[in-house]
Amino acid sequence: MASNAAVPFWRAAGMTYITYSNICANLVRNCLKEPYKAEALTREKVHFSISTWNDGKPEKPVLRSDTLED
Amino acid sequence: MAMAALRREGRRFAPLLSPRPIAGVRSSVVSEEDVPFGARSISTQVVRNRMKSVRNIQKITKAMKMVAASKLRAIQVRAENSRGLWQPFTALLGDTPSVDVKKNVIVTISSDKGLCGGINSTSVKISKALHKLSSGPEKETKYVVLGEKAKAQMVRDSKKDILLTISELQKNPLNYTQVSVLADDILKNVEFDALRIIFNKFQSVVSFLPTMSTVLSPEIVEREAEAGGKLGELDSYEIEGGETKAEILQNLAEFQFSCVLFNAVLENATSEQGARMSAMDSSSRNAGEMLDRLTLTYNRTRQASITTELIEIISGASALEG
Repeated sequence: MASNAAVPFWRAAGMTYITYSNICANLVRNCLKEPYKAEALTREKVHFSISTWNDGKPEKPVLRSDTLED
Repeated sequence: MAMAALRREGRRFAPLLSPRPIAGVRSSVVSEEDVPFGARSISTQVVRNRMKSVRNIQKITKAMKMVAASKLRAIQVRAENSRGLWQPFTALLGDTPSVDVKKNVIVTISSDKGLCGGINSTSVKISKALHKLSSGPEKETKYVVLGEKAKAQMVRDSKKDILLTISELQKNPLNYTQVSVLADDILKNVEFDALRIIFNKFQSVVSFLPTMSTVLSPEIVEREAEAGGKLGELDSYEIEGGETKAEILQNLAEFQFSCVLFNAVLENATSEQGARMSAMDSSSRNAGEMLDRLTLTYNRTRQASITTELIEIISGASALEG
């Protein structure tokens, strides 16, 4: 669905290709039927804690824990 | 930690284990802490306590080895399957570890938990060596650290160069979505010309090879394309759809980073389980050897005390007669 504009719509909205493909994968997983759907959705769980460092000092870590950050 | 505890136990017991006559053993055992005052026979309590604690440690390390072996089986399959994710990228874009760039970002992958042998130290050692190798005038090298163990080692002397640290990655079973969200975060927060990912590649249960994978940014890919080689052949591909070559290179670079990171995280997790298995195995073996030595000393002490009692009884009896 690339538009005629110079940049595809998702990149103009600030997403990277990775985010775009994750959203598409999520859509495909949601199309599955019931037992497989629950299994597939467990493969989407995200959990990690990231903290940026400024000049040798860590800031408060941000916990990213949700199924899919869109 | 189990190894350090065992070593401490061994050192405390070293004077008793050297080959000395029984009298010498007796005096050094009696000089230990919890022998009750006025006791006539040598107490074997000290040795028995040591044996009990060493036996418990051995059971724990054996159990940890079994757990690591079962986890290894599961994750090894996934790591080997994920190798197919980055192979097409290497076939298309080639692998240029020796590329000369201004901004290097070193992504070091390590584990959160310990007791896994030396793999985290080797990753950190290689990262630091790479930092030294790629520093120079106008060049900048920074770190992104995954995992608590590498963070602890890096913080000691490279605090200024750390950009991001990530932990708690293995709380849920590893999946591509998680790693790709992580890759996205890294890409958004970090400026780079080349990303160097350092991890331990899993060759076999006893061999883990520290490996470096390179992902170039699209601008550098353009620059290298002019130099010829694999990247120079990119122009011979036809581009379908409405995108330009720069667009495609951008998408490819992001996706390549995500795939390579996913494989690297899986391989490192497999190596971690394998290293933990062999560390716990050697730990149980050492505990077994220590237990053998303690048993010998225990028997010697016990026999010495029996002999002493016999001597006292007999000399008491002969004193009564005579």
